[in-house]
Amino acid sequence: MAAVEMTGISKSFGPSVALEDFSVAIESGELVCLLGPSGCGKTTALRILAGFERADAGNVSVAGEDISTVPVERRDFGMVFQDYSLFPNLTTRQNIDFGLKAHKVPATKRVETVDRMLAITALEDQADKFPHQMSGGQKQRVALARAIATSPRVLLLDEPLSALDAKVRESLRDEIRRLQREIGVTTVFVTHDQHEALAISDRVGVMSKGRLEQIAPPRELYEQPANPFVAAFIGSINRVPATGADDGRWLVLGRFVHGSVDAQPQESGTVGVRPEEISLDPATDGQASVEDMSFLGPVTRVTVSMGRQDAHGSNEPAQAILADLMSADCGHLSIGDPVRVRLRDDVTRVVVMEGAHA
Amino acid sequence: MDAVMKSLLKWAFLIALALFFLLPMLAMARFAFQSVPVVLLTPETLFTGWSIDPIVESFTNPQALSAARTSIMLAALTILLNLVLLIPLAVVTEIKAPRLRPYLTAVTLLPWVVPPIALVVGVAATFRTGAPWFLASVYSLVPFYALWAMPFTYRALDAGLRAISARTLFEAARSMGASMPVIVFRVLLPNMTASIVAASALTAAMVLGEFAFASLLLKETLPTFLVNYQRSDARNGLALALVILLVTAVGIAAVVRVLRRRGLNVQTTGI
Amino acid sequence: MARMSRETRTGLYVAVPFALFIGLFLLYPTGAIIYSAFTPGDQLSLDGILRSLSGTYRQGFINSTVLAVTTALIGGVIGMLLAVVMRSLERPRWLHSSLDSWSAVASQLGGVPLAFAFIAAIGTQGLLTKVFAQVGININDLGVSPTGFWGLVIVYLYFQIPLMFLVSLPAINGLRRTWREAAAIMGASGARYWVRVGIPILTPAALGGMLLLFVNSFAAYATAYVLNPGGALVPLQIRFLLQGNVISGEEDLGYAIVTWVIGILMASLFLLTWLQRRTLRWTQS
Repeated sequence: MAAVEMTGISKSFGPSVALEDFSVAIESGELVCLLGPSGCGKTTALRILAGFERADAGNVSVAGEDISTVPVERRDFGMVFQDYSLFPNLTTRQNIDFGLKAHKVPATKRVETVDRMLAITALEDQADKFPHQMSGGQKQRVALARAIATSPRVLLLDEPLSALDAKVRESLRDEIRRLQREIGVTTVFVTHDQHEALAISDRVGVMSKGRLEQIAPPRELYEQPANPFVAAFIGSINRVPATGADDGRWLVLGRFVHGSVDAQPQESGTVGVRPEEISLDPATDGQASVEDMSFLGPVTRVTVSMGRQDAHGSNEPAQAILADLMSADCGHLSIGDPVRVRLRDDVTRVVVMEGAHA
Repeated sequence: MDAVMKSLLKWAFLIALALFFLLPMLAMARFAFQSVPVVLLTPETLFTGWSIDPIVESFTNPQALSAARTSIMLAALTILLNLVLLIPLAVVTEIKAPRLRPYLTAVTLLPWVVPPIALVVGVAATFRTGAPWFLASVYSLVPFYALWAMPFTYRALDAGLRAISARTLFEAARSMGASMPVIVFRVLLPNMTASIVAASALTAAMVLGEFAFASLLLKETLPTFLVNYQRSDARNGLALALVILLVTAVGIAAVVRVLRRRGLNVQTTGI
Repeated sequence: MARMSRETRTGLYVAVPFALFIGLFLLYPTGAIIYSAFTPGDQLSLDGILRSLSGTYRQGFINSTVLAVTTALIGGVIGMLLAVVMRSLERPRWLHSSLDSWSAVASQLGGVPLAFAFIAAIGTQGLLTKVFAQVGININDLGVSPTGFWGLVIVYLYFQIPLMFLVSLPAINGLRRTWREAAAIMGASGARYWVRVGIPILTPAALGGMLLLFVNSFAAYATAYVLNPGGALVPLQIRFLLQGNVISGEEDLGYAIVTWVIGILMASLFLLTWLQRRTLRWTQS
């Protein structure tokens, strides 16, 4: 039995559909990210889970108990908001204490809990400060401490890091993960930042237009995207023309590989190839040439412009292909060099973006 | 059920307030435009005796016209004086000495510490003996009206300058070689029309309604005329008052709406 | 003398006219009154200042203060409530924009036309007086007449409520929805949220708004004059002293009263700006 289950949730705001038959099951102690572009319904899903919005259809259950009609106050959840949402008239200590008081925890126990929360979030020296006296990162740590103080059944995080600057964001991200593991609370994290989602989650749910496209561990999501949307949304991907072969494989950049869809390939189609799955060989013919190179540290991203021919053999505008090469391997390359674009030898499977018979 | 009760209570509250705001205006309109005394008002007489003659009469009253002309001139001069005094001050402060801004905000609030009824005593005590010629003209009211319009005029200008980030604009124009007058007249002022219009509308409303100072210095402006007129001819006086109210209301409302649509939040309270 | 930089000169060009203007038309007359108030009969003494708080003048201060406090409290509560109610109503949209515009207008309406409107409504010959008389209630006997205390309160509320609504809007809009949500998800009831968070956050803004209403009412002259020129209110007494200053020594009394008025308003506005700064700090964090 899953810890949190949302089944068949639909929600519209007037004419715009926010969620359509949305279902997700989250295991106890798991951290699941809902990831997607803005307007994909991820925040609505979280707000329905929290109880701020009522779904038009479907139900929400926690530990097998249907809580669709339970009011927010009695759901026993914790939540961290994007704008911190600390009470400005209360100190750090009072902010953390607020929920404990509402839960009618005895006074001595409250002091003890607040102290423990301050300790695990390293906020002891901020205990008597007001929100306006603290930095963004500190405020969000208070918000986190406040959300977990009441030992909630589920912790909800609504884009908690997006108001912070890059460096703080990264360290707080790791801290959230550490705390979450420590207390083992089932957590739903909403974000539009895929790096954040991939770095922190046990599983990531990719959403688009009110639907859950795929939910899987980060690695699986990247390596085996269920569909073209997920493939294009997570990381970078090149759309490369490919030709179907009789044995069900695809001819991609000169090599035969399997497609992600178990269906007979059409004569021609498009497959997705990650930049790191491409290698460049020196060449003398003018098929492709290096257009741009940006040095990113260990890897160098090379933009290759490739001449294309459509099915009738006439030339189409050049296509740009991205290739991530180890920086150490591309000392010989310079802009303007003719190259041959090739699929790396260890690649055996590609994502079919279009062109397979159903 | 609970939610229904709540929403019922809310609407009852709103409707009660709406009545409170509407009824006096309706009563005034009825008094002005219906010649039936209130004691004789019955369902049968409710629709008799209506006429808009009071408006026509008050509008053709030469004294009313001259009072209106005086008030409009006063409003125009007050606006002009305030803008001439405050625009350079606000611009220079914003660009050259932004750290002085809080002090200036405090200083421009000073006129509100001395309301008309208090200042008039001081003016009578000083100018009436020291420079009686000054108070002879009705236009001696202008500097004092400018004082009371100063708090919201300065705030509107200051907010306008900050909204267009005047300092950046100034530096950008400077770097392109524009001279100070060019920057002020071609770059800053056109971008500040909204705040200038807002401040001017509020100033005009204030001047058209100011009674204490004009009355105690025995000047005939629209409000002081109105009080005398109402004593001699109640219905015409009320009709004129209603027209002034409506014109002011429509004017302010129009300005507020236009500015809101342009995304400018106008502080009509001046504080 | 060292040569002035161009910047200093520009500064002087704009600062000097402004300073002269404020000095001549505001500080000089005001200073003259305050000076005279403390030197009645050209001798330094507190006689005038103290005498202005005795007898009928004492009554005037009491009446004006009671009137100002009453309208500030009632207007403050209703105006704030109006802002809270409007915030909770998302629709109809037109109501929001028209109420905003209307309040901007009505908050400026203290004056002669407003007094006329209420004479027509609740005067002895007023329309509402008549309507209530039909159902057997004589509102004028209940103190609700344009010359009575409650009548004056009602008239002042006409501009006090919209003023409070406008002043408290920023504070009410500064109440974030997520505060309410955060409180709810931590298990707090609506009442607990308001007691512990909502009301404490709104208090400085509410007090500030009410102070502004107090100042507004204390100094209001036109409406009171038209409704009841002989009333025992400070602004009306000032007029009386100013126009009837035949008895020697009465001027000093007038100056003393004005000095008190300025003192009261200055203290209120000082407190008001302090409260505002506090509100700002909270709503921006």
